[in-house]
Amino acid sequence: MLNYLLRRTLLMIPTLLGITIVVFTVMAAAPGGISAQSLVDGMELEPQSRQALEEYYNKLYGLDQPAPVQYLRWLNNISPIGFERQADGTLGNFAWWKGTDLGTSFRYGRPVTDMIAERLPITLLLNLISIPLIYALAIGIGVQAARQRGGRFDVTSNIFLLGLWSVPSMLAGVLFIGFFASEQYWRWFPTGGLMRRETADQTFLPLLGGFGDVMITAICVAVLTVVFISAAVSFSLKSRQWTGLIIGSCLGYAMAFNLEGQIFGLLHLLLIPSMAWLVRVLAGLNNVALRLVVTGAFAVGFGLAVAGLFGVEMLQTGYLLDRIWHLVLPVIALSYGGLAFLAKLTRSSLLENLAADYARTARAKGVDEETVLWRHVFRNSLLPLITVSATLLPSLLAGSVIVESIFSIDGMGKLAVEAVQTRDRELVLSVTLISGLLTLVGYLLADIAYAIVDPRVSYD
Amino acid sequence: MTEQSVNIPVKQPSKSWARQVVSSLLNRTSAKIGLAWIGLLVLIATFSPFLANSHPLYMVVDGQASSPLLNHMEPLDWIWLSGFFITLIISALPLLPWKKIVLWLISVALVSFIAYSTVSPPILVVYEQYRELENAGKVEQIIRAPIPYSAKDYLRDFADTGVESPLSAADRMHLMGTDENGADVASRMIHASRIALGIGFIATGIALIIGTIVGGLMGYFSGIVDIIGMRLVEIFEAIPTLFLLLSFVAFFGRSIYMMMVIIGITAWSGYARYVRAEFLKLRQQDFVQAAIASGLPLRSILFRHMLPNGLAPLLVATSFGVASAILAEATLSFLGLGLVDDPSWGQLLNQAVQSSTFNWWLAVFPGGAIFMTVFAYNLLGESLRDAVDPHTNRGMQS
Repeated sequence: MLNYLLRRTLLMIPTLLGITIVVFTVMAAAPGGISAQSLVDGMELEPQSRQALEEYYNKLYGLDQPAPVQYLRWLNNISPIGFERQADGTLGNFAWWKGTDLGTSFRYGRPVTDMIAERLPITLLLNLISIPLIYALAIGIGVQAARQRGGRFDVTSNIFLLGLWSVPSMLAGVLFIGFFASEQYWRWFPTGGLMRRETADQTFLPLLGGFGDVMITAICVAVLTVVFISAAVSFSLKSRQWTGLIIGSCLGYAMAFNLEGQIFGLLHLLLIPSMAWLVRVLAGLNNVALRLVVTGAFAVGFGLAVAGLFGVEMLQTGYLLDRIWHLVLPVIALSYGGLAFLAKLTRSSLLENLAADYARTARAKGVDEETVLWRHVFRNSLLPLITVSATLLPSLLAGSVIVESIFSIDGMGKLAVEAVQTRDRELVLSVTLISGLLTLVGYLLADIAYAIVDPRVSYD
Repeated sequence: MTEQSVNIPVKQPSKSWARQVVSSLLNRTSAKIGLAWIGLLVLIATFSPFLANSHPLYMVVDGQASSPLLNHMEPLDWIWLSGFFITLIISALPLLPWKKIVLWLISVALVSFIAYSTVSPPILVVYEQYRELENAGKVEQIIRAPIPYSAKDYLRDFADTGVESPLSAADRMHLMGTDENGADVASRMIHASRIALGIGFIATGIALIIGTIVGGLMGYFSGIVDIIGMRLVEIFEAIPTLFLLLSFVAFFGRSIYMMMVIIGITAWSGYARYVRAEFLKLRQQDFVQAAIASGLPLRSILFRHMLPNGLAPLLVATSFGVASAILAEATLSFLGLGLVDDPSWGQLLNQAVQSSTFNWWLAVFPGGAIFMTVFAYNLLGESLRDAVDPHTNRGMQS
């Protein structure tokens, strides 16, 4: 295993080199290209200081040298083994460990390492929240669909998931911002960013008025959660659907009331039936786990709202709630596409295994269907899901480019767009290098996980 | 066993595999929906100058009849129109498929040559003149397109035009409102359908050609070629595609043809993988060995004998690939790196949320169009996958 790991890690180096060569070639071959003149252009300077600035850039980045030399220089800078760089731009002695230097951004004049260290955790936070969410929901939906093959849930979820997969994430983001964050419609969520400025010097947890308020909130949330979850578990399908219908129409009325007031208008007529239908469908879900997740989330929100009605006031929202509040829309916009894809994959993989010989054998010797599903089939169906996890990370990184620019979150994705738009060579190369590295590490992790899960696979 | 063999029905006339796939495809509702939407889009794209145009189709001024619309048709408009009818005629001809393709390519090339050498619309376009003539009462007779605004008609003759919601302007009718420059959204969307279709087909075509050649060589030769090729594929898969696209577009300028080429160049790795896997399987088979033994040239072995047999998974991937190419163009335009003045769905969508106001018509209509097109191709791809998959087919028949 160790041998394999070492080999894979070493094989990553040529791939990374290839990636940077591709991107560097693109930049070098571009008409106009990058030169000291193009960097200085647009600044209003005296001819002398312009000359001086050009020379400075040439010395700093070696822009007056041929493209292959520039690439080698850059390579020398980022690789820990190589020639040391002197202050005047010339190369010094060879060193076995001189540390890596990603260079200085043209545009911002700051070390690229610092900028990436600022931005990368934000993108990773978004992705690391999305991935477990995607897997949990996708497996729930996929299992349910595979169980009722050809049934109503299967057919509707199949079409619905394909549709969801086809929704461009910029459309979803724009609609989310437009309807749930902008001033014209419901202002439930912030329009952008990751936190409000005030939150920086607030407590981590929400701060309430006093011990009594905390108690009231806790009681409200607890009681409602218990009531809702017990209802979700014990009610029959019919009564669940009726309850859902009633709750949905109340919710629809509340939403319309929020926008247009008490008078019945077109919006009321539109929202009440559609919300009623939506909640009825959610309540009618046949999968207990899915239902519990939905009702649990709903109950907590409802409990907080009821506590608010009792006069509990939050003095400070606190860091945690604020962060969650800001993350809801971006995470949904980032994850629904992968969710749809994975749920379809789970379904097809489960169906394949449910029809396999070993599943039939298990049934023949009298194992009940639940055990066949979870102990035998499900475990085997996990394999394609693990393989796909390798491609999930790159697609999430690409998705975060769009989501971060829509929600103005200062992550790697937004940095990438800014870098490309300003033709900032050092930044473009470094962002490519880092995202390529993340992708390759994703592939590697997926392969290791595959080897751990599947004993038939061995890499030695 | 014996009972079963007795029950075998009268032998049906055998159908070719391609025919089987097509008929099984046309039996599926989702494929029908997808094909219907794409067909509608093709119609809209072909006849877009007649659907939305500021130039009247027919106009009589001072007793002089003229057709400004036909005078202002660009060469590309003529190519689309004649290409549409050429496709209709050729598909009805009783010819072998490859002859049809060759004939189609030749005739389209001929038409493009003629169009670009003969058609020269006026360079200076004044959209307002007809409305001004009409207001002055000089027009005796006029026939306008259903949407009487061109995609780039920013309605300069109406004082300060800008973002307007649908049907809000008193003196004009904009079914889908106007965008931030004052152009009619419906008209822009109609003209943008060409870009979506063109990008989808040409970019995927380029990716398909590169992918097939690279993948075919990798699968056929295996060994060292395969190892080098796979590294290349891995490199292109490990660079986030969107990011590579961004750098290409930012550094190479923004033209529609450039974008097609770039999307094609970044998307080939998946096809290469499919073709390689298929060719690795095929090269062991007897008919390929026979082709090699009879001394056929490599080109013939690869493309006439092996490729048609490995086409099925490629076809499915192509359908999904067209969807993602359209999505890529929309994303680039959305991020402000798309075409500058030409209409595009993604660019309209970009204007929906600006400076804290939300213009729903700029999100719903263009976004809906992108969604429907991507959805249509995905539906088509999914039904195609089911149609070429022998497992699901058997399941359906029994």
